[in-house]
Amino acid sequence: MSAHQRLRSLTLMAVVLIALLAGCGAPAASPTTAPAAQRQGALRIAFEIPAKLDPAFASADSEIAILNAIYDYLIDVNTESKIVPRLAAQWTTSADGLTYTFTLASGAAFHDGSPVTAQDVVWTFDRLRDPQLKLPTSSLYENIAGITATGDKVVTFKLKQTNPFFLYDLSDNHALVLKAGTTDAATKFNGSGPFRVVSYSPENRMELAANDKYFIAGKPGLASLTFIFFKDQTASVNALRGGQVDLVMRMPSALFKTLQSEQGLTTVSIPTNGFDEVRLRADRKPGNDPRVVKAFKLATDRKAIFQTVSLGLGAAGRDSPIGPLFKAFYSEETPLPARDPKAAKDLLAQAGYPNGLKLDLHVPDSGDRPDLAVVLKEQWKDAGIDANVVVEPESVYYGNNGWLEVDLGITGWGSRPIPQFYLDVMLVTGAKWNEAHWSDAELDKLAKTAGTTLDEAERAKAYKDIQRILIERGPIIIPYFFAQFGAVKNTFTGFNLNAFAGRTDLAAIRVK
Amino acid sequence: MADEGAPPFLSVLYAQAASAFGTSVVLLFLFVAVFGPLFAPYSPTQQIASEARQPPSPQHWFGADRLGRDVFSRVVYGARDIISLAGLGSLLAVIAGTLFGLISGYRGGLFDELLFRLFDAFLSLPSLLLALLLLGTLGPSRNSVLIVIVFVYTPIVARVVRSVVLGVRHKGFIEAAQMRGEAGWYILFREILPSVLPALAVEAALRFSYAIFLVSSLGFLGVGVQPPNPDWGLMVSEGRNTISLTPWALYFPVGAISLLVIGVNLMADGVRRALQGEA
Amino acid sequence: MALTIGDLTVSYRQQGRWLDVVREVSLSIQPGQTYGLVGESGSGKTTLALAVMRYLGEHGRIRQGTIELAGLNLLTLDEASLVRARRDLIRLVPQNPQSSLNPSMRIGEQVAETLPGLSESEGKRRVLALLSSVRLPDPERVMQSYPHQLSGGMLQRVMIAMALSGEPALLILDEPTTNLDATTEAAILDLIRDLIRARRTAVLYVSHSLSLISQLCERVAVLYAGELVEDAPVGELFQRPLHPYTQGLLDSVPRIGQNKRAAELRPIPGQIPRAGERPPGCVFAPRCHLANALCEQARPPLDTPGEGRRVRCHRWPEIAAGAVGANQIVERYGFRVHAPTRQRTTHSAPPVVLAVTHLQKRFPVRRTLGEWLNARPPRQIEAVRGVDLEISRGRTLGLVGESGSGKTTVARCIIGLSERSGGEVALLDIPLAPSIAQRAPDLLRRLQMVLQNPDEALNPYLNVGEILGRPLQKLAGYAPADAARGVSRLLEAVKLDPATAARLPGQLSGGEKQRVAIARAFATRPDLILFDEPVSALDMSVQAAILNLIAELQRESRHSVLLISHDLAVVGYLADEVIVMYLGRAMEVARTEDIFTPPHHPYTEALLSAIPVMPRPGESPLTRAQPIHLDGDIPSPMDAPAGCPFHTRCPRSLGEICARQEPPWQVGQNGRRVFCHIPLDDLEKAQRTNSDREPRVDF
Ligand code: SF4
Ligand code: SF4
Repeated sequence: MSAHQRLRSLTLMAVVLIALLAGCGAPAASPTTAPAAQRQGALRIAFEIPAKLDPAFASADSEIAILNAIYDYLIDVNTESKIVPRLAAQWTTSADGLTYTFTLASGAAFHDGSPVTAQDVVWTFDRLRDPQLKLPTSSLYENIAGITATGDKVVTFKLKQTNPFFLYDLSDNHALVLKAGTTDAATKFNGSGPFRVVSYSPENRMELAANDKYFIAGKPGLASLTFIFFKDQTASVNALRGGQVDLVMRMPSALFKTLQSEQGLTTVSIPTNGFDEVRLRADRKPGNDPRVVKAFKLATDRKAIFQTVSLGLGAAGRDSPIGPLFKAFYSEETPLPARDPKAAKDLLAQAGYPNGLKLDLHVPDSGDRPDLAVVLKEQWKDAGIDANVVVEPESVYYGNNGWLEVDLGITGWGSRPIPQFYLDVMLVTGAKWNEAHWSDAELDKLAKTAGTTLDEAERAKAYKDIQRILIERGPIIIPYFFAQFGAVKNTFTGFNLNAFAGRTDLAAIRVK
Repeated sequence: MADEGAPPFLSVLYAQAASAFGTSVVLLFLFVAVFGPLFAPYSPTQQIASEARQPPSPQHWFGADRLGRDVFSRVVYGARDIISLAGLGSLLAVIAGTLFGLISGYRGGLFDELLFRLFDAFLSLPSLLLALLLLGTLGPSRNSVLIVIVFVYTPIVARVVRSVVLGVRHKGFIEAAQMRGEAGWYILFREILPSVLPALAVEAALRFSYAIFLVSSLGFLGVGVQPPNPDWGLMVSEGRNTISLTPWALYFPVGAISLLVIGVNLMADGVRRALQGEA
Repeated sequence: MALTIGDLTVSYRQQGRWLDVVREVSLSIQPGQTYGLVGESGSGKTTLALAVMRYLGEHGRIRQGTIELAGLNLLTLDEASLVRARRDLIRLVPQNPQSSLNPSMRIGEQVAETLPGLSESEGKRRVLALLSSVRLPDPERVMQSYPHQLSGGMLQRVMIAMALSGEPALLILDEPTTNLDATTEAAILDLIRDLIRARRTAVLYVSHSLSLISQLCERVAVLYAGELVEDAPVGELFQRPLHPYTQGLLDSVPRIGQNKRAAELRPIPGQIPRAGERPPGCVFAPRCHLANALCEQARPPLDTPGEGRRVRCHRWPEIAAGAVGANQIVERYGFRVHAPTRQRTTHSAPPVVLAVTHLQKRFPVRRTLGEWLNARPPRQIEAVRGVDLEISRGRTLGLVGESGSGKTTVARCIIGLSERSGGEVALLDIPLAPSIAQRAPDLLRRLQMVLQNPDEALNPYLNVGEILGRPLQKLAGYAPADAARGVSRLLEAVKLDPATAARLPGQLSGGEKQRVAIARAFATRPDLILFDEPVSALDMSVQAAILNLIAELQRESRHSVLLISHDLAVVGYLADEVIVMYLGRAMEVARTEDIFTPPHHPYTEALLSAIPVMPRPGESPLTRAQPIHLDGDIPSPMDAPAGCPFHTRCPRSLGEICARQEPPWQVGQNGRRVFCHIPLDDLEKAQRTNSDREPRVDF
């Protein structure tokens, strides 16, 4: 290529870049709706590319959303975090809280025609809890003493200790019921759910059709469902704008804001229990000095963050994972100290950092986290904390457990229906994902009480104390709870966004 | 060089409308880069939450972004950042490439052969890919980006220089210098380098514009300069998410990148024309 | 008339301005006539030839005039007819056959393309016939060859074969022999002459060389700065030139046998004006020693001084009448006329400045991958195979030979730019290291070389002052403060304005560049200066001045000179002694005054016979008896023949003995030595009886 040609192509590249960026919202064809007898219409959902489609391994929203359409949970959690029937039509609990008995709905059958039996449920949960298989769920279910089919449609779970959240555990994301003996769950998709797979081209799309024999009356409402996979959320939203898809869930606040002004869309925003957690490693310098932890907390203005980063969507945080949605447990008793960079600076000086503190702030590149990091950097600057923002792709940030190693990091935590989960996996001493490497005896004790007692009042008290401890000395800052966002073409109805978007009931959606 | 005849460089560049435009743009950006802090109304990272997402106004000429930062100030400081980074990077690459090209081309032999086989191997990779590979090992930071620019562009410059050297090294005036017993460095820098300069000037301008593009691209991909630095590419990438909320936060940096790249290119074209017309 | 050009003006656009490159030129060529068009670079001769074919490109246009070829008005033809006319009526033999032939097609196919509509076997027969008609040896093999497998001379024969394949109305020869060696050139000219003599084709022969044109053409038109200044039958032009420029051209190149001690050359001062800077009156006026007020104001008309003659000069009647001499030299431009001096006679023999004994140079040939894998020993080119020479103080030794003779390699080994493979080189009895890098500064100072191409010899980015100042400071011991004065003195010595010091080489003409290059070599006051083809890259009209300068500088500073040239006339003019080289060996060593008279080495004899013979009035070069010229090419130095190196081409070869046995050095009068088996007496006898072969030195 001559120098001249190169000049031209470079100029062209510049022009193309403008065009690309400016042309983000090009309109395209309107959605097609195919009329059918009862179930009608086709829905195209944008999602990230799913990686693992064996229920035992699935975790991302897109994976759960797909599996939730193909398979059924034994019991389900609704948008109010209440346990509701799914495959199990009804259940009972023994007085000592150690025996649970479920009766399966009649008429439930796998897509290959065979009925769903108690044996399938036993097989499913035995697999998930088998310590030999080392599945992610094995520790979740290690409290189960035994599972037996006490009839063709009746299953009995026996526990070792009482577990007030056992029903929630049973409706864990992974706990989709497979046909007994299934070996190729990730490719065969023989579920009992409202949709069956017609075709799947990995990294591109998955076509599903309504399961005409679905046992829940009136579901599914659609004749067909298509998952179209996108690399990032911006692209998904642009596809919705352009009419290539009908439904998008999960997106950064700013993108959602832009959709709110768009014609022809129904936008849904619900608060969730998910949050971004800023944490400082407490097992080594500088985070092992409580004064430093306190300084970080004093240097942060959570309200301002909630307004600018979350654009006021969701809920403001109080440094604890027990959010306002957990109405029974949430408490504002302990006041959150007001921002005071001066005091923070003094504390740092006392801790031996009279000239301030310089730290790398590691952030995954997803969601509002980079913005959060930038705002924190600016706020902390006043207190003499110089945070050097290091934005990493999610795969790098979480890969090789690097996120558990760094001193200062921001981690996103998804929404769970019970607060105990967060305590058990991220806060108690030695917890698997205790990224702050924090150890607090009082908190450990309270968490244990809350996790075992059957007394609701006692549990509420424990949670309140935990919230106090975290505000006082927890090496974490939780500035906000996410809102979950969704937007759908307004030709559809029945879209009830779940806090965990993947658990949104797609079978309830129908054409207006 | 000559006491007479050679018209001042700028007047040559202003002889043609296109290169005059390009040169003006580059000079404007240089001015902004040098004196920007004097007239930028805000700090590039200062967040005024209450003014977040304000459209352009007398208060915020280019509007305010989603975090309440003044886009104009960010673009201005961004010019300083990108011009210094791309400028320093391409300057170092030009110096290193010139040294490699001069010495290797003049000496020839096995060293030359091996070095340029290696360079060819580098050049066979697209520069963005090479940059990403390097950044993967270096980790993202301003210095890494600088190293990447130098690393990616040195072989390209060296190649250009070497090709000129190969064309010159057997010419009579080099042999005349050898007949005088001149030292190697004298021949390289006094006799050969001037012949390389025209091609080098164009190449330097080209490298500069590519470096701007590379820095922006890396920023855009999030592997280059880190937030909250007012890197234009980073601003474009962030602004993309808020395109309908704060379009100004996208369009101004995009416009700045395009304008500067086009400006440098038009100027490079002018430089090339001026030097070709002269030599 | 085959071709009639009437009042033709051609313009080129340069930097937005249309400039006339050819102005109001008329000429006509009859069928069967060869017409020479002579001019230096910038004269417009090539533009004129291109205009005839209407190949002017987007920057050129014909402003006025007519071009008629075989009754067709070429200027009004539409595109399709023009293409047909070019194909059917005009043939061109270009300067550079390599660039006109398709490198990826066999010669046979390319020749066949010019013979459309023939069956395959008939076509092949015709191609073979054509290739034989241009005297190509082994035409069958040539047909199967690709262009790169043939030598320049053979390719030019192929081009001629293609040009003559049809029955063109006009054949244009554009410097067809410029890139060829003397003996090859002579053979090609013989061939062209024979071929066109047999046909009724009109020939336009474009050349920068009057002497070449005189070998082929009946008429000559002289172009200067785009204008036709003189047009005459060849013999009359040479004997009675009416235009001062024509006379100047004839005077400015040395003739065979002319020596610097006998007469100084008469150069034309100045240079051709550029297209935009033509003077208002006579275009030649700024350089013409006869110019008067009228010449500077009024453009002379194209007069007809006699039957078939035209001249564009105000003063031709005076010149014709002998009232003023066309070849008068005036002082106006600072050229001194000095009386011819006899060589100073010294009582003791002058000291030997340079002594070279048995110099050898081998270049390794890069092995191909196959050869390397087969462990073949690397082959070598033996460029120089044992050459001895000696130069005394103030003397000039000429080294003459064709390309491939090794003459330039000898010079490069002496200066040390190439490292010799064997032999000794001593300067003033001090042995010289093979590589220049190992030589002491004082030796560097004493030995300098003027390189062949003045365009490449000067760094285009340094001004003349810097170019000349550096050797003054580095080797001649000048303090930086004095360097400027030294530069001025040097510039004066080479007859350049001291203000030239501020200029860049790009702002100088070819002749001026060569003067600067000479000044640079001269700067260190060396004992020996090597000149490699000092004038071959220059226009004719400036050659004389450079040769004069070389002679004059030497006369003043008494340094020795080693002169490398392919041109016997140039060597004969400057040198005191001559060595004729062939294939890396000396063939003959002789005093200059002896070299042109028998007994010659057979190769020297061939070189001499290749020198153009000047025509006499009324004589047509086409019908003149021609000497026999050498055929074939010089063998590759990679496999030089055994025995006498020249035996493969020698017309006097004795057969067996020449092919087997290395000849002895036959020693003659005045130290003449000839490397041949034939005794000198026999050689002399044979060469004297063959009077046709003796060049007419008198002219
Ligand atoms: S017209 Fe005058 S200047 Fe021109 S050539 Fe004739 S004499 Fe010389
Ligand atoms: S030795 Fe024989 S071949 Fe050689 S030049 Fe003499 S006669 Fe010719």
